[in-house]
Amino acid sequence: MVFFLQQCLIGLTNGALVAMVALGYTMVYGIIRLINFAHGDLIMLGACLALTLVSVLGMAAWTGTATWLGVALLVLLCGLFCGGLNVAVDRLVYRPLRNAPKLAPLVSAIGVSFIFMNLGLFWLGPADRSFPELLPATNLLAGEGLQFTAKDLLVIVVVVPLMIALSVLVKTTRLGKAMRAVSQDPTAAALVGIDVDRVIAATFFVGGFLGGAASVIYGLYINTIGFQMGFQNGLYAFTAAVLGGIGSIPGAVVGGLVIGLVRALSSAYVGERWAGAIVFAILIVILVFRPEGLLGRGTKEKV
Amino acid sequence: MPLLEVRDLEAGYGPIRALDRVSLDVEDGELVALIGANGAGKTTLLMAISGVVPPRSGSIRFAGSPLAAAKPHEVMRLGIGHAPEGRRIFPRLTVRENLELGGFMQTDRAKLSRDIDEACGLFPVLGERMDQLGGTLSGGEQQMLAIARALVGHPRLLLLDEPSLGLAPLIVAKVFEVIASLSARGISVLLVEQNARAALKLAHRGYVLETGRITLTGSGAELAADRRVRDAYLGEG
Repeated sequence: MVFFLQQCLIGLTNGALVAMVALGYTMVYGIIRLINFAHGDLIMLGACLALTLVSVLGMAAWTGTATWLGVALLVLLCGLFCGGLNVAVDRLVYRPLRNAPKLAPLVSAIGVSFIFMNLGLFWLGPADRSFPELLPATNLLAGEGLQFTAKDLLVIVVVVPLMIALSVLVKTTRLGKAMRAVSQDPTAAALVGIDVDRVIAATFFVGGFLGGAASVIYGLYINTIGFQMGFQNGLYAFTAAVLGGIGSIPGAVVGGLVIGLVRALSSAYVGERWAGAIVFAILIVILVFRPEGLLGRGTKEKV
Repeated sequence: MPLLEVRDLEAGYGPIRALDRVSLDVEDGELVALIGANGAGKTTLLMAISGVVPPRSGSIRFAGSPLAAAKPHEVMRLGIGHAPEGRRIFPRLTVRENLELGGFMQTDRAKLSRDIDEACGLFPVLGERMDQLGGTLSGGEQQMLAIARALVGHPRLLLLDEPSLGLAPLIVAKVFEVIASLSARGISVLLVEQNARAALKLAHRGYVLETGRITLTGSGAELAADRRVRDAYLGEG
């Protein structure tokens, strides 16, 4: 039983990380119907910055509260960095193609992904780099059973507030309302006086910020980063977004958690090498029966 | 000087020329009807005024300022409201949220809420549906929402694109009643309609648009009495 719960815990923390990245895919898709293939690599660059900051600040020597404040600072800086970079890419690459056929921005996104990957190669070098263990691996729970370390706690204290903030932003603020309007009908949104390009830029920023935060947690939690990490993580996150229903914010969270759980449980009970195959087999089965994803909208709509 | 002044406007999509040297005025307080067949370019003209379709040449001036290169949100901020063809309300936002977006430029929440109440005064049914999703309204209610949404921002000029399309006769009468009352309150209206009879009856002046060109213009009564208009648009002859 403890073993099972332990695997679930691992699955949920990993899944929360996947969900953070999936949100970036789903938000951008929701607003401009673009699958932003560069999103995974954006997060890799965030991890590069996090590693550089950790070395420059000498954070490995910090202890206690200083470490946690340092982590908060990393989340903030990497979030701003990835958010800003995402906005810049939208401005330079996707915005000029706003009225072009859908394939043009899609192919450009793949191009941006390659550019990012090469920047990462330049930044990190070809080999995987180990990310310093800033947080102690001691069990926070009493007893011999379930392991819940500071790293697991980190995932929760970063992911949960950010997701709550995102939900408040989208549901209650003026910007959030504008985002939902643009995603439903950009022309009608412009006709009520919304600056559509600015709302799209804001969406890229928010998606990028969440990705930047995820990159820090990734480094601290997984402890290995490399210039190719964006591809695989991006793929899992994209799958999570599709599984949950692309364009749906709660869908991305649910999809991420499901993928994290399935991956952890299949690694534990079937075998590590089968985990990927099982995740994608489940994706295929779900999409056969629910093409719009778990929480996606049906295509039927009253007109 | 007219409130809205369109001069020699040309616009189109790819190789298609949808508007061919169109000139049109709307005076302050005037209700102007624009009639014409499907595909004549009526919607394109409204979209060009709103900045959604970029003009290729010609000029548009609103309250003295040139609009030709303005983006839609800039045009709306100058005091134009646009209830587009097909209503285009936001289906997965509530009626209240739809109306709040109509007052997107208004950042004073109390003022915005008063503006919404005021717009709903014209369409009491919307007040009963505030928390319902826009997509669940009936066609007539959606049309009322689209007009109310355009009114929340207190436009000086209201562009109405086919407000009666697909509505039951009783609802059509109600919509035209509201348009007349808006005009009586001094809001300038440019009304695009397939229902030429009702539109010309209401309008101070009208224009006939055929394959991108203005072919006739005159007072509402003159146009309604014109042989060519009667043959082509009023189903007589």
